[in-house]
Amino acid sequence: MNSNQEKTPSFPRENSDVDLRRQEILQKIRRLRSRTQVGFWATAVFTIISAVAMLEKRLIPPLSTGIREVLGPSPPVTLISIALVVYSFSALTLILARMGRGSNSYRGWAHFGYLFAFYCFYYYAGELQENFWAVFISGLTILCLESYRVWNYCVEEIKRAEENIARLDRQV
Amino acid sequence: MLNNFLKRAVFPIALTLTGFVIVSCMVLYSFIKADLEKDTIKHEANLADTIIKSTRYSMLKSDRETLFMTIIAIGSQEDVEHVRIFNKKGVIKFSSSSDELNRQVDKKTAGCIGCHSVSEPETRLRSMESARRYINEHGSEVLAITAPIYGEETCYSGSCHVHSPDQYVLGTLDIGLSQETFIQSLASLRLRMIVFCVMILVLSVGGGAALLRRNVLVPINDLFDYTASLSRGEYDTPVPEGVSEIEDLAKTIHGMVTDQRKPGA
Repeated sequence: MNSNQEKTPSFPRENSDVDLRRQEILQKIRRLRSRTQVGFWATAVFTIISAVAMLEKRLIPPLSTGIREVLGPSPPVTLISIALVVYSFSALTLILARMGRGSNSYRGWAHFGYLFAFYCFYYYAGELQENFWAVFISGLTILCLESYRVWNYCVEEIKRAEENIARLDRQV
Repeated sequence: MLNNFLKRAVFPIALTLTGFVIVSCMVLYSFIKADLEKDTIKHEANLADTIIKSTRYSMLKSDRETLFMTIIAIGSQEDVEHVRIFNKKGVIKFSSSSDELNRQVDKKTAGCIGCHSVSEPETRLRSMESARRYINEHGSEVLAITAPIYGEETCYSGSCHVHSPDQYVLGTLDIGLSQETFIQSLASLRLRMIVFCVMILVLSVGGGAALLRRNVLVPINDLFDYTASLSRGEYDTPVPEGVSEIEDLAKTIHGMVTDQRKPGA
């Protein structure tokens, strides 16, 4: 059973208490509704970053030799690709596990950071164009699944809260 | 009811599987492509070495006619875009294409810049560094390798020698092979991987969804319909069959309802 779920309220007899409880539930519904959109924003920002990465040759200037000397040689592309597959596998497994637990925390921004790092590594290795679609599809899958998880949780919680309001209304 | 189950169970699994299989196939394709590219360059470098070794005697004896005919014969092979030998000054002395003879090669072009980027040119490069790709005038991709022809003791100890012992690089062989066959192989590999990917997805997602529908969703829907008919007072509705757990649950519900109907219950 999910510990975060809204418990069935013990319906108070006083009208003022009912109003207070009603306000609390309505506030929670508003909070949940705004939360349903958080995944959309992370996915939208990731899509914009991906568009810039796709047009890398036209939009991003090549790194100067000085910066490359400071940063050192790039890791081998094979290693970056292996890291991408391992990351995708573990991220998807963790999201599915969180979905099974019914957790409500959103981790999309952390995933956005990791995916951005993959774009940076491929760019530095000079293989961004070759590996763009792998990062993009991996990111889209992870962020969509994470958004779907939080959206699904919020929709269920909203439905439960609305049922509680209906119950309070019937009691009044 | 079905939609809710599909939304909660099938959609996340389908999305996860689809995304992961596509990403894995893409990464696998890039690995295979990189390995094939490395092998192609290695093969071409070996071919360049073979040409240098097989023409060595003609060069040693300054048999220009034999050397020229050998270069023409190699150049006439299918997939061989060009074969040329240029001297230390970068002037093409032998070529499969007669119109580029005695032409000066630009040392700043790809394939040359690897050694000539510094004032004292490098004399040894790995095969990966001496390879270059370009699109020819017919629009097809060409992979070219430049292999230096090194001076040996026999080159300056013979009676007809023209090189001094301190001349380390005598000239360069440049060979270009058309990449059309390689590109076609990659395209067919890509197509096979897409077909394989689609088959895996259809089997896993489609098979999983079909089994879930057959063993969970439809029986639960039947149970839902059964309880609804009981609540309407239709007690003779047959118990849903197929999955034993659902059947037992339906019988239990039926028993509870009939017990409640008994007088004095």
